[in-house]
Amino acid sequence: MTLLEVKDLKTYFKTQEGTLKAVDGIDFNLEKGQAMGLAGESGCGKTTAALSIMKLLPANGYIAGGTINFMNQDMSKVTGDKLRAIRWRDISIIFQGAMNALNPVKRVGDQIVEPIVLHEKVDEEVAMKRVKELFELVGINPNRVREYPHEFSGGMRQRVMIAMALACRPRLVICDEPTTALDVMIQAQILQLLKNLQKELELAMIIISHDLSVLAETCEFLSIMYAGKIVERSTAVNVFAYPQHPYTKGLIAAFPNIKGDRKMPASIAGNPPNLINAPVGCRFAERCYMAQDICRREEPPLAEVLPGHYAACHFVRPMKGAT
Amino acid sequence: MSKDVVSVKDLQVWFPVRRGFVESLLSKEQRYVKAVDGVTFNIKDREIFCLVGESGCGKTTAGKAILRLVEPTGGEVKYTGPGLTPKMIKEVADHAVAKRIKSKKEATSDVASGAVDVRSLPKDKMKLLRQKMQIIFQDPYESLNPKQSIYDIVAEPLVVNSLGANEKEREQRVTKALDDAGLRPPKDFMWRYPHEVSGGQRQRVGIAGALVLEPSFLVADEPVSMLDVSIRSEILKLMLDLRENKGLTYLFITHDLSVAYVFSDRIGIMYLGKIVELGPTEEVIKGPRHPYTKALISVVPKPDPRMKTDKIILKGERPDPAHIPPGCRFHPRCPFAMDICKQKEPEPMFVSQEHWVSCWLESGEGKR
Repeated sequence: MTLLEVKDLKTYFKTQEGTLKAVDGIDFNLEKGQAMGLAGESGCGKTTAALSIMKLLPANGYIAGGTINFMNQDMSKVTGDKLRAIRWRDISIIFQGAMNALNPVKRVGDQIVEPIVLHEKVDEEVAMKRVKELFELVGINPNRVREYPHEFSGGMRQRVMIAMALACRPRLVICDEPTTALDVMIQAQILQLLKNLQKELELAMIIISHDLSVLAETCEFLSIMYAGKIVERSTAVNVFAYPQHPYTKGLIAAFPNIKGDRKMPASIAGNPPNLINAPVGCRFAERCYMAQDICRREEPPLAEVLPGHYAACHFVRPMKGAT
Repeated sequence: MSKDVVSVKDLQVWFPVRRGFVESLLSKEQRYVKAVDGVTFNIKDREIFCLVGESGCGKTTAGKAILRLVEPTGGEVKYTGPGLTPKMIKEVADHAVAKRIKSKKEATSDVASGAVDVRSLPKDKMKLLRQKMQIIFQDPYESLNPKQSIYDIVAEPLVVNSLGANEKEREQRVTKALDDAGLRPPKDFMWRYPHEVSGGQRQRVGIAGALVLEPSFLVADEPVSMLDVSIRSEILKLMLDLRENKGLTYLFITHDLSVAYVFSDRIGIMYLGKIVELGPTEEVIKGPRHPYTKALISVVPKPDPRMKTDKIILKGERPDPAHIPPGCRFHPRCPFAMDICKQKEPEPMFVSQEHWVSCWLESGEGKR
């Protein structure tokens, strides 16, 4: 059963200068227990896509089109109490830099007890027992539930946030840049933890990151976003082994590889387009080394180019019979 | 053999820990946060020397102490790069003798080798020297004043140092600096404000602000870590071009080993205020000797899911520089720690001509 189905999602923001099309028609599916990475540069709409799923958009943002189906319910019709019940119990999110959002004057244990009591109508004692189990699960000594956030280091606070996200046994966890502010060694610890949890609890996960190498280590599937669109989507192995879209190729080449030759990685010249007046045609055309007239005229569709591998580029030949 | 531009010996930056009233009554010993605790390295002419380590290892403090943006509490920083006049060298040496910072003999040897001891420099002379030694900061989003135009930001070092005879000359120098930093044509950028340009261009503004004084040595503190991956190498390439065309020498500070690997000539791995391994970049990355270096290299995420490597994930987090463990400071997290590691601090041992490591595993005493 498909857990999450996103179809032609469009999320726009009203701004003084006009309508900003942050997410402009993206599709993806997620099955139970799958981990998908959403990669792209800052401003490409990856966080907005996640917020749309959770219906957590700021006041000037709205879903302009498309559908989000989660566990066979149309999320656009879910509101009020029903929506509150889904958040945290079924879908939870770990925000970027969330480890700094813990309440400094409340014991960390109590901060996790609160949502459990609220969502599952259990008494505090039962909830505290669960918190201790959760701490064990994410590798924190359960005796530390009575400590305050300042007594934890950055990596440990991030573990607390993960424990909090898992508190109500969700089916889907969205992690927005889960390791960006952390040191490499702590990053490795947290990524390993996320991977283990995903396997043990059969969690579905969407991991959002600008760092392709982080996603390469944690995700089975990968979607590459550029300027509000998904430009390539496949298994992580295939995206790295057979990148099709020039942007994906550029992005992969931009990472220095410590195991490879000692050479300066390539860069992609230019900047992403302004999404208030998005260019006609392919949005990457301006920075693309392959761009021809057609790219500036017509927008390429996301077509299946290899089995299960989609790319949106005029110069990648679709598979026979694929639309 | 090219000559050194900067040589650092036993550099030490200790910050006193403030004591409470009761503690001071009990006259407990003053404790220190030993951010930099005896660091020695040299940077050759036109070299890119890289300090790598986790946050809190003291790499940024070391970089700032070299420019005396924080005052070192011990050790020596010598600058022998271009831009020194014999008069200045002599004056600084005399000052050091007068203030009893140095013996006459030491001062004479400084003069003979044409070096300036940055630490014994009087404040007004330091300003002169800083024209030759500049810094690029990490965060181009926070290090630029949002209320100043790019022209004002880049011209500020000239104003502070009373350089440039008139407005016209200043404008010429700013134009040149912007051009050198790749903001072309400079006229299009000069009168814009930081929020009107992209992240990569902001970092170029930061670089232009350093270049406008025509320095010969640059400390670059994580210059690309806040930038999108797709534009990082543009900035790195710019820095390489500047070395080529202007003969710049760099101290490059980063936590990202893969960037250090492609960019630097030599690399020093720092842990808790000390360099534990130092050598030519390729040698250190391909043949690391210190267990900490090995672990750091193993956890760098590989940009390819087909490359599965064994990771050495160290337990725990970096310890507190106010409580440095005795013996080898890495021993509580070291998978190979032996008895001697808990008692005695290992001395640097050379494993090849230019590659040394501080680890008991490499010495005769450690080997069983």
